[in-house]
Amino acid sequence: MRRVLAALAIAAALAAGSARAEDLAAGISRDKIEITSSFTGTDVVVFGAIELESGEALPVTEMRDVVVVIRSDKPYLVTVRKKDQVGPIWMNREQRRFAGVPGYYFLSSTRPLKDIASAEVLEQFEIGLERIALGPAPGAIGGPRAFREAILRTKMKQDLYSQHEGAVSFLSGSLFRTTVALPPNVPAGNLKVLVYAFADGQVTSSSTMTLFIDKTGIERGLSEFAHHWPLFYGLAAVLLSALAGFLASLAFRERH
Amino acid sequence: MQIYLPIAEMPVNIFLIIGLGAAVGFLSGMFGVGGGFILTPFLMFWGIPPAVAVATQSTQIVASSVSGVLTHWRKGNVDFKMGGVLLGGGLVGSVLGIQLFNALKAAGQADLFISLSYVIFLGSIGGLMFWESLQAVRHGGSNVGSARREPGGHYWVHGWPLKMRFHRSKLYISAIPPALLGVLIGLLAVVMGIGGGFILVPAMIYLLRMPTAVVVGTSLFQIIFVAAFSTLLHAITNQSVDAILAVLLILGGVFGAQFGVRYGERLRSDWLRLCLAALVLMICLRLGVDLVLPPTDPFNLLVEGLE
Repeated sequence: MRRVLAALAIAAALAAGSARAEDLAAGISRDKIEITSSFTGTDVVVFGAIELESGEALPVTEMRDVVVVIRSDKPYLVTVRKKDQVGPIWMNREQRRFAGVPGYYFLSSTRPLKDIASAEVLEQFEIGLERIALGPAPGAIGGPRAFREAILRTKMKQDLYSQHEGAVSFLSGSLFRTTVALPPNVPAGNLKVLVYAFADGQVTSSSTMTLFIDKTGIERGLSEFAHHWPLFYGLAAVLLSALAGFLASLAFRERH
Repeated sequence: MQIYLPIAEMPVNIFLIIGLGAAVGFLSGMFGVGGGFILTPFLMFWGIPPAVAVATQSTQIVASSVSGVLTHWRKGNVDFKMGGVLLGGGLVGSVLGIQLFNALKAAGQADLFISLSYVIFLGSIGGLMFWESLQAVRHGGSNVGSARREPGGHYWVHGWPLKMRFHRSKLYISAIPPALLGVLIGLLAVVMGIGGGFILVPAMIYLLRMPTAVVVGTSLFQIIFVAAFSTLLHAITNQSVDAILAVLLILGGVFGAQFGVRYGERLRSDWLRLCLAALVLMICLRLGVDLVLPPTDPFNLLVEGLE
């Protein structure tokens, strides 16, 4: 993630110096998502317009590609274990530890990524599932690609990682939009929305926004109680469970 | 209708979860087992993260067991003295169990050990019990099944030192066998994430020779404390107990347990043992098959937390 932000800073600096400086103004339909008891996932629209700094719209002859990436702000540590047969039994044998694993990663673009820019450029900005910079955790060794691919595969099955080439559409010469379906199990925590405009295989402008995802109300209260006062939370859970059992036995008591 | 779980961070169907809690609570009231070994796999099957499933299921077990024990107690079917001895052993066993569990986790083989333990214990106990109760049913046992099996008939372990009178169970035996049994249950409970009822109930019937009617209530009594301790441990170390999931499971569980107790009484004790044995064997088979069949994905992920 830090690498991406550094690359963005460099690209912005380079673009500012050029003659045809352009501006990417982007927005999201909701910048704060509140997870309530009835949360079952939600749709968010990312949109924007590319203008020249002079305020004019892009000429119709200028083609731009747009890539939208939405990813978790804070990465996770993940251990991947592989099962192997030992006699008749399947058990965990090898394991690898990875750092820099985002909880959520979404990408959509106007065209297939390989048609937009070269691998090196895409690599710089971690654009594309294969280019997410997750790697061996500090102190861990590298290993077969299969372990890395297992992370991508599992997250994709859980609807947490997805890539939709061709899902960004231009409504007019410079106005574009794409829809993101946030799944019900999206991890609570902020998401970074990164929008890139490409021309001739290079990033010409970009924009970054934050999408705040927070539990609210009772969901938040319980979550904080569990994490900040674990002993009391545990005691409360036990006592309330016992109380529930007690009340139920009263309710069903036979009249003598 | 869906509700969002704050710790599991996902929504679930309210009625499905309450129904699951009720079904497991029913089995709990009827057989004196905690039900964790059924509840946890089902929760995970429905997409709840394993850590949250294991941690939260123990709250449902506390509730169902309390509900069941009180009902058994009113009918005079709980031997608190025996329960106390079992419990003492259980606490010692729990402490030993945590050490063992941590060692296994460090080696990355906790799951394997747990599955193997389940298969071995469920298989042997289920098999023996199935055989014994099948014989009893075949030879037409009476409704007071315990009369035929001579409760209070002695094994050599009963003659060990520290003899105590256990009035409810009509026993005068050494306190050491129940204490040791408690230690074993406590250890297995922490390592396998269960209440231990499915081991405790047959052990009380066959080893300690307690009357079946008293066994169920006394087993539930011990399970309450083991499950409560387990809940506390998980809440403190992993913060993975999900309060809303717990509420849903408990709602179903406490009512299910009540029906289970009442229905269980109407069954002849030998049929009851036969049903429990069949249930135990089925689960053993399922776990055994899981161990031996090639997994759908040989890779599994463990998200450890933020960097």
